Amino acid sequence: MAHIIMPRQPGATPLKDRTEYGLRGTSFRYRAKFLFTACVSLLLMCSATAPVHGKLVIDLNNPNLAKMPIAIPDFASDHAAAPLAKELTNILRNDLYMTGLFHIVDSVPQGVSISEEQTDFQVLTESGFQALIRGKILLQGDGLTFEARLYDTALQKMELGKRFTGRLNDRRSIVHRFADRVMETLTGVPGCFSTRIAFVGAGQDREIYSMDYDGHNLGRLTQIGTIVLSPEWAPDGRSLIFTAYLKGNPDLWSLDLASRTQRLISGRQGLNASARYSPRGDRIALSLTDKGIPKIFTITPEGNIIKRLTNGRGNDISPTWSPDGSTIAYVSDRAGTPQIYVISSNGGPSTRLTFETNYNTDPDWSPRGDLLAFTSRIEGRFQICTIRTDGTDFRILTGEGSNMGPAWSPDGRLIAFSSNRGGRERIFVMNARGEIQVPVTSTAGKAPAWSSHGTR
Amino acid sequence: MSYRRLIFAAVAILVLFTLLASGCSRKVVRPTPGPQPPGLGGPSAGGPVMEQDLQVVQANLKPVYFNYDQYILSPEALAAVQYNAEILRRAPQMAVLLEGHCDERGTAEYNLALGERRARSVAEYLTTLGVANRISTVSYGSELPVDPGHNEEAWAKNRRVHMRVSN
Repeated sequence: MAHIIMPRQPGATPLKDRTEYGLRGTSFRYRAKFLFTACVSLLLMCSATAPVHGKLVIDLNNPNLAKMPIAIPDFASDHAAAPLAKELTNILRNDLYMTGLFHIVDSVPQGVSISEEQTDFQVLTESGFQALIRGKILLQGDGLTFEARLYDTALQKMELGKRFTGRLNDRRSIVHRFADRVMETLTGVPGCFSTRIAFVGAGQDREIYSMDYDGHNLGRLTQIGTIVLSPEWAPDGRSLIFTAYLKGNPDLWSLDLASRTQRLISGRQGLNASARYSPRGDRIALSLTDKGIPKIFTITPEGNIIKRLTNGRGNDISPTWSPDGSTIAYVSDRAGTPQIYVISSNGGPSTRLTFETNYNTDPDWSPRGDLLAFTSRIEGRFQICTIRTDGTDFRILTGEGSNMGPAWSPDGRLIAFSSNRGGRERIFVMNARGEIQVPVTSTAGKAPAWSSHGTR
Repeated sequence: MSYRRLIFAAVAILVLFTLLASGCSRKVVRPTPGPQPPGLGGPSAGGPVMEQDLQVVQANLKPVYFNYDQYILSPEALAAVQYNAEILRRAPQMAVLLEGHCDERGTAEYNLALGERRARSVAEYLTTLGVANRISTVSYGSELPVDPGHNEEAWAKNRRVHMRVSN
């Protein structure tokens, strides 16, 4: 396996200059291409951002954000645990890959040492890498020890070092926790890899399921036997709310995850639908039928009405809170077609936000507060789009099949949604720009809801 | 039971005949597609149906269909509601539940609102027509298609308000 990384692009900034600039702490960008010839002659293209102020960071506000080249060779282990080490390395690689922020290389060039005793940081840097993650595992019976470090190759400095112990069965969550810390070190915001996604089954039954963000550890949460809609996590992660027809009417229910008991929250005649917790968990916004017309209300978590927010003849549904709880975006067809509007969470006038197509629904406010993801009908099919909260920068993120129900990850890096591409409706996860889109369920599912905690 | 059916069928025919004679709505009088009630000898005595034959009333109620993305009643939908109103008027003791449905195209939550509004549109028109039955509504959004197909024909059947009667 001869791995050679060499500059390909004529006129690319010489690599040693980049190192010097980086060490001087000057922010600048460069581009380089590398030919990575392995036995399969893999061609890679790398773009990278130099360290800012000498520290290894990913500047999420940079509009020209380029992928960070990072080496993640297989974790070290004794011979017997080598397959396990590879499995764990792949969990970490997949986590970081999903963000779309990294250019991940599985192995270092031949002859380059990355051992604890001797790490050829300079060679790695000259080969275009900005970061290295080195890990090792130790398996003793059912006990697993995982140790991993993140290095800035230019500064030859360890930025993060963690040691985890647990059971073999916890191996996925152990690696996810490390990946969360890698994201925190590089972006300032912890990753979402330890969080769970709840969704509604779209096949044999319509019960609520939950799973790791990457589709593993799938479990059924309910056994209701009726139509179930719009699951939503309580901010503390201990319960879910959802709409179900347990009494024949679309009522709002709460499911306590520890006791698995259900409790009626709002059973008013008509819709008790599309309920969403406020970020602090002290209010729930939802659609209630008032004089025959669905309107946006806020209620207490116990179900008492706080305020009616919208008026008029339009059907109002699908509220979503801004991260500071001050504003609610929702869907109304008051102008003839379903469009997204924003209103103060204390009521007042509404402002229309979307004008691009004649069908914009399912808004979900990004955790950073700057974007709304939503479902738009484009040429007869449904696509996940984003728009800035001032109504500009409309972007279409999906294109294949029909795609609905976007839900942001708590760190704002990923979006879960349902898509019927490939035949049946399944849950997909994509990065916030839509460059990477992968199915995470093999069973049919819809209406994903992303937890803000690593709830089980 | 067959005697009850006979009486009801006779009443239904009489209703149709009355509407035809009044000429107020040509669309209403188009003969119902589907099997005619058996054993009809001609119009018999009118008046309210006293027998609470749910099954017969249920079988005679027509679905009310809607255009894509719409909850406003089309001329065809108005005619269907008028037809159903005549049946309900003769069974005023029955409660009627209006179940609003959408086709699969669209997002689940908005479809829930749309189904609610379709049921509401029918409820308001029934009230306008002077129907005295107890009316309630429920929306199933796009969750309960009557035709599981993924084509225009199936979608047209699924955009509906289904009337369900009970005592």
